[in-house]
Amino acid sequence: MLGNESVCKVSPVLVSTTNYRGRSAEEVANSCADKIVSISETAPDAVREQAKFFKSQIIMALTYYIKEAIRSDRTTLYNQLKAAGHSDAAELIRRF
Amino acid sequence: MAFTGDFMCTSFKQELMTATHDFTTSTGDSFKLALYTNSASFTAATTAYTATNEVTGTNYTATGAALTNVTPTTSGTTALTDFADLTFSNVTLTARGAIIYNDTKADRAVVVLDFTEDKTATAGDFVITFPTADASNAIIRIA
Repeated sequence: MLGNESVCKVSPVLVSTTNYRGRSAEEVANSCADKIVSISETAPDAVREQAKFFKSQIIMALTYYIKEAIRSDRTTLYNQLKAAGHSDAAELIRRF
Repeated sequence: MAFTGDFMCTSFKQELMTATHDFTTSTGDSFKLALYTNSASFTAATTAYTATNEVTGTNYTATGAALTNVTPTTSGTTALTDFADLTFSNVTLTARGAIIYNDTKADRAVVVLDFTEDKTATAGDFVITFPTADASNAIIRIA
């Protein structure tokens, strides 16, 4: 049966928080993967399993490159702090 | 006085018909998300941002933070739009809900978001993750 009813809808958001730290590379990677891969609850089991495996691979790749980005940014921070005359702070950053 | 669910503001629905809002990426209007305590009592009748009962906390700025628009699209017969996830970094605050409003167009309210319980970050990140941008889950959709 065809209908002509239109509805405006709003969906809930997910809120996550951290205490005394930022988010880890793994947490950010999971959020990113959720944006890239969504798995329909009505998809056939075989398709769902394949999608889950693909998503796990995406998370692994994202985690690796996010950590690389963090390391690279720390190198930049180290050099900027050192150039600004804050060698002690720069050394702390390098040791993280 | 409390949050009682997620609402698409009635005024926003009307404003859709007067082409008030533009969700286009980069060139569209600027939308913001503001956080509130459970003393706020927003409903579908909410029409605009208010500072009343907005959270206060370390590194949180009144009026909230800017959202990154995702240009509206369609999926089947459903039109939908989305925003990039939003992080309030290194904050100490407790919030029970939020409103999204159009900072470009006189702070007109778009949606009310109920977190269902108080959410607290202490010297940490407060992250809003928007739902999957598809016909069944997108944050704002017209089916």
